[in-house]
Amino acid sequence: MRFSGLVENEILKFTRQRRFRVVVLILVALIGLIVFAQSRSRERFAKKDWHVETQERMARIQNWLRDGRMPASSQRWARFELDRLRYHLDRDIDPEAVSGPLFARGFANAASYLLLPLLAIVFASDVVSAEFAQGTIKLLLTRPVGRARVLASKAAALALAITLTVVFGGLVAYVFGGIAYGYGGWGAPVLAGFRVAGERLDPAAVRVIPLWQDAILAYGLAWFASLCVGAIALLTSVLLRSTAAAMGTMLAALIAGTILPRLASSWESQRFLFVTALPLPDYYSGSPPPIPGLTLGLGAAVLAAWALAALVAAFAVFVRRDVLA
Amino acid sequence: MAAALPDAEIVLSAEHLTKRFGRREAVSDVSFDVRAGEVFGFLGPNGAGKTTTIRMLVGLARPDRGAVRIRGLDLARDFRRAMVHVGCIVEAPDLYRYLTGRENLVHFSRMLDDGATGRIPELARLVALSERLDDRVSTYSLGMRQRLGIAQALLGNPDILILDEPANGLDPAGIREIRELVRHLAEDRGIAVFVSSHLLSEVEQTCDRVAIIHRGRTLATGPVRELVDRVASDRIRVVARPARAAAGILAGFGEAETSAGEDEGSIDARVPRERLPDALRALAAGGVDVFAVERRLASLEEVFLDVTGGETV
Repeated sequence: MRFSGLVENEILKFTRQRRFRVVVLILVALIGLIVFAQSRSRERFAKKDWHVETQERMARIQNWLRDGRMPASSQRWARFELDRLRYHLDRDIDPEAVSGPLFARGFANAASYLLLPLLAIVFASDVVSAEFAQGTIKLLLTRPVGRARVLASKAAALALAITLTVVFGGLVAYVFGGIAYGYGGWGAPVLAGFRVAGERLDPAAVRVIPLWQDAILAYGLAWFASLCVGAIALLTSVLLRSTAAAMGTMLAALIAGTILPRLASSWESQRFLFVTALPLPDYYSGSPPPIPGLTLGLGAAVLAAWALAALVAAFAVFVRRDVLA
Repeated sequence: MAAALPDAEIVLSAEHLTKRFGRREAVSDVSFDVRAGEVFGFLGPNGAGKTTTIRMLVGLARPDRGAVRIRGLDLARDFRRAMVHVGCIVEAPDLYRYLTGRENLVHFSRMLDDGATGRIPELARLVALSERLDDRVSTYSLGMRQRLGIAQALLGNPDILILDEPANGLDPAGIREIRELVRHLAEDRGIAVFVSSHLLSEVEQTCDRVAIIHRGRTLATGPVRELVDRVASDRIRVVARPARAAAGILAGFGEAETSAGEDEGSIDARVPRERLPDALRALAAGGVDVFAVERRLASLEEVFLDVTGGETV
């Protein structure tokens, strides 16, 4: 009774249920739709020759720099913009165009709010409750394996499923984005490491990194956020013993998380709710935080704390509670 | 039926098990031992506390008082080492319906020692499922699922098999198959089998010893024959002519059914053992021809009525 065997069992259950195929289908259909809609709306704004336009812009920026009247912080930005335009021109890529890699990177931001946590919830909600619903919990917990080990194997398989979902989502976004916008452009420079100092962006922390690094960071954050949501959904699955109830609860929480910052952004305590901390890639990309005082570090810490507490509670309840139903 | 050896090893023992739900005591002070090679029946009406007791036996529920010992190991303290010896089906044979029979067995063998997977073909033959092993369980009949459940329970070569209402929902042929399988496991393999049931005839035909549970308490425990004898020692059937006169005379010594005719007929009566010779002499003196006197074996149903004070199952 090796632990890997138990995890293998849970993976078998994941993959043999319809749920898994549904998630794959949702990702493919949704991303396909987004790419299609986006490329359609872009066609309407087809411009004149972008080579000329880009060269004109580069010339303008060089003039400003030569002027010397530009403040230091803006000079940094100007040099970055110049590098960026030159990178694209050298590779014969329209700098304003979306590339496959850029689309994939953008997907991480968009999906970290709702889609990826949602899929994590779809997996996590029935990890324990399904065993109750099918009655198989009675066999699972009467084998010579401790209950903590059983739940740990489920948590491990869940983490794996969520990881695969994030990776698969990124791959599908890249493949579909590539069909529409081309596959090249992973090396394009992007600005990263924005930090908000008071009311303004702190330019000192900004660094230039290649797009592929930026994408890995963004997906890493989305992955981390999804894992944390998965842990919390696992707790609801343990507590409620009903997949529908667990999924409903988590969905309500997610939706509340998207509404709250808009309706009551001044209520500062909401930054300690896990749902408002979900769009981690946003905080890191430098958009102004939806709630004052919510930074990448705090958001990650809030999520981690919630996830950890949920796991501890899930194990405590699962190990102790009588199985009667 | 092979008599359970009284000195055979005790494999499972329930010691003063008590379980409360809120104020209601669902199981009160239930104790019994199950020995190697015997089929032990756990008989009681629905809601008597059978399933709650079974849940405590297999560690799904914790007793409020009392303990479960499996091969001497305290289940509460030594869960994993104790459960190595146990195979069980609690309530219904619930398996993963979206997996095949084989996948289900592989799944549960991964929770056991390394050799368990190798036993799958042999167990599939034992429960007559080899042909359908690669079909999804959702296509199985209830009887097949019950048999797959038993195969699952046997994966770990258990010393004790715990089956909760194995006859539930099965047709007569299915019930007979399960009964034969259970007898084979106990007699030929020396496995202790614990079977709960609310079907008296089932327990009577399958079990060596039985405990009767009612409202959470065990009312009687003992070999099936002994329990039957305890109630049945005064039950006789007399074949005589004229039957009506015979019934009238027998009623004077105990009870007798009175609806017999003038011709030859059989009369069911209750006459205490020590008064039977007098009763027979009285029949002869009364001019009644007696053709046969036999002891009538009580069914477990009558035993049950007797110990519960008239409540039916």
